[in-house]
Amino acid sequence: MNLLNVRKGQFVYYNNKLHKVYSVKPFFKKSVHLIRLEDLEQELVTAKEISLYKPKHLDSFLFNYKRYTLHKDVKAEVGDYILIINPKPDSLDHHHLHAIEIVSKIEANGVISNKSNGIKHNEYWVMVAGRENGATIIDSAQPDDHYSIEHEALELESHSRETYIPKIGDIFQKNTSDPVVQAMVVAIQGDTVYLGGGIEIHVNRLTKGDTWSLITRIPV
Amino acid sequence: MHITKVFWYSIVICIAIVIWGFFAPDGLNESTVSATAFIYDYFGWFYIFVIIAMIGFCIYFMFSRFGKVKLGKDNDEPEFSLLAWFAMLFSAGMGIGLMFFTTAETISHAFISSPNATPGSDEAIIESLQYAMLHWGLHGWGLYSIVALVLAYFKFRVGAPGLISATLEPLFGEKIMRGPVGHIVDTLAIFATVVGVSSTLGFGSAQINSGLTYLFNAPKTLWFQLIILGVATVLFVMSAWSGIGRGIKYLSTVNILVAFVLLVLLFIVGPSTYILNLFTTSIGKYAGNFIEMSFELKPINGDQRQWINDWTIFYWAWWISWAPFVGMFIARVSKGRTIKQFIAGVLLAPTLVTFIFFSVFGGSALYLEQNGIAKLSTLVTETVTFGMFQHYPLGTVLSFITVFVIAIFFITSADSATFVLGMFSTGGQLNPSNIVKITWGLALALMAAIVMYSGGIKGFQNMLIISALPLSLIVTLMVISFYKVIQKNE
Repeated sequence: MNLLNVRKGQFVYYNNKLHKVYSVKPFFKKSVHLIRLEDLEQELVTAKEISLYKPKHLDSFLFNYKRYTLHKDVKAEVGDYILIINPKPDSLDHHHLHAIEIVSKIEANGVISNKSNGIKHNEYWVMVAGRENGATIIDSAQPDDHYSIEHEALELESHSRETYIPKIGDIFQKNTSDPVVQAMVVAIQGDTVYLGGGIEIHVNRLTKGDTWSLITRIPV
Repeated sequence: MHITKVFWYSIVICIAIVIWGFFAPDGLNESTVSATAFIYDYFGWFYIFVIIAMIGFCIYFMFSRFGKVKLGKDNDEPEFSLLAWFAMLFSAGMGIGLMFFTTAETISHAFISSPNATPGSDEAIIESLQYAMLHWGLHGWGLYSIVALVLAYFKFRVGAPGLISATLEPLFGEKIMRGPVGHIVDTLAIFATVVGVSSTLGFGSAQINSGLTYLFNAPKTLWFQLIILGVATVLFVMSAWSGIGRGIKYLSTVNILVAFVLLVLLFIVGPSTYILNLFTTSIGKYAGNFIEMSFELKPINGDQRQWINDWTIFYWAWWISWAPFVGMFIARVSKGRTIKQFIAGVLLAPTLVTFIFFSVFGGSALYLEQNGIAKLSTLVTETVTFGMFQHYPLGTVLSFITVFVIAIFFITSADSATFVLGMFSTGGQLNPSNIVKITWGLALALMAAIVMYSGGIKGFQNMLIISALPLSLIVTLMVISFYKVIQKNE
């Protein structure tokens, strides 16, 4: 790509993997800051090394070790991840193209995200958990012919067993309460995780199912 | 549309004033003049106390044990870098006024009517900037920071909706604040915001007209100002309709940068050393006389008291009427900051930048009149800035830039105001419908037009004084409510 065409939020391929541009610093040698979507690792690259990809309806990709499918017709519910497709931020909003946010509250004309942005229904697509029928996998620019979703599931399972253990400082959101609760992991004892606000929960209840969403991960 | 009763109450009040002003402009003007005189006589002291109390609360909350409390959950981190945050704070609270009063006010204090000295004397010139700093400095930002602090705490830490009435629930209970009393509170906040913003739009129209007169010999009439207001209204209503939020935000950022370019250019072509000397002296004078100026009401001398009414109390009313609107913006961008950080940032950063703007613009204007180069004091308020530019190199370029900056401030302020008013009138929703936003856009424009038609700039001043009185009481109650909750929670 040409540096002039690189914008914050764009989906791009680098090293055959799907990334998102989170910052462009034109005066540095490596001007483009990327974040790899599958594991949220950061990369510093030049514009020449990346190629643009525009996400489409029913595109499926890994985000933070979990597979999601973009769906333009699904109405968001509290706790859903949404991808901003058509940003029209009002005066108090600070969302941008391809920001991935979590729904905290549903309003008549839109949703309120975990970052307190008011996002209208025509601004986002829902990232439906899992792979939907007819979905196109977009994790790689040149997909491996021998790739299979079963193989990926096994890989993810083994990966999540070793990496998805909550750490002190991780922030989780409980999606089933109103107003939505966000709390930080303050202590871990065996399989019991202690969150701020006196919440005590088993690790599986925190990481499996849709009740809790991981909002912020402490970098390893 | 999910509008609340508050929307209808507020719209009815605005329509009533517009109809009254259209069919009986003299009647509206006389009524506002009488009401304003009454408020000056009996409540001038109250405005002064409210503003001083806000600074007192700022100092208290900054250094009390509550200073470490976060505006958000304990694990929330600030969304924006310090520099970006400062820029947002400044752009939230400042706009057309910065282009309008930086020159006009200092010239007026120095050569037309001084608070203490003889107009035209050295003392009056030095005092002029000191009093401009009083009106645009810590007092106003102290008020903004307290209103924003209360809104941010309730919204991000307590989880209350973004409404003024929601901040009073701890004092009066949920039942009362979600019923008619709460509706009245929100209606008053909306009405004060409409008056405050439409006044600014009125000042802006007058100043754009002056700029166009200077640059292109455009007619300087009420009708031409109404045409400017109409064009700007079409633009910002279109922006609300089409939802070009990204464009408006971009425009707002660019405009702040252009305003700073204007500042730097004027500093270079203007009397740089004079500006620096004046800035330094005025800062010292402002600091030295801070307490005395803050409490000044001049109860003995009628002429001097009139000056306090026309300037100081008018400004306090204007700041109060803008407080819910600007407070909401400041609260939004400050999520995750501690109370101590928040108050220090909101009080000091914008105040310093404002002082620099006043010193450069005001200093350049004072220099011309003091040295007999130009008689700016004979010009009408909205023309002073352009009159000043004509006597410096690049004067026409600077005038062009100024008209551009005012026009953009006009559109971005109005666009933001329509959103906040939409939010206040739909129960605190962050996604008010386009119809609601456009209704508020038209209401702002009509209010500005009708006040221009019936009473001109003086009319705006009177409306501001009236609408700010109940709001000043609400702001005081907000602080008491906040104190009650924070003591209990933290």
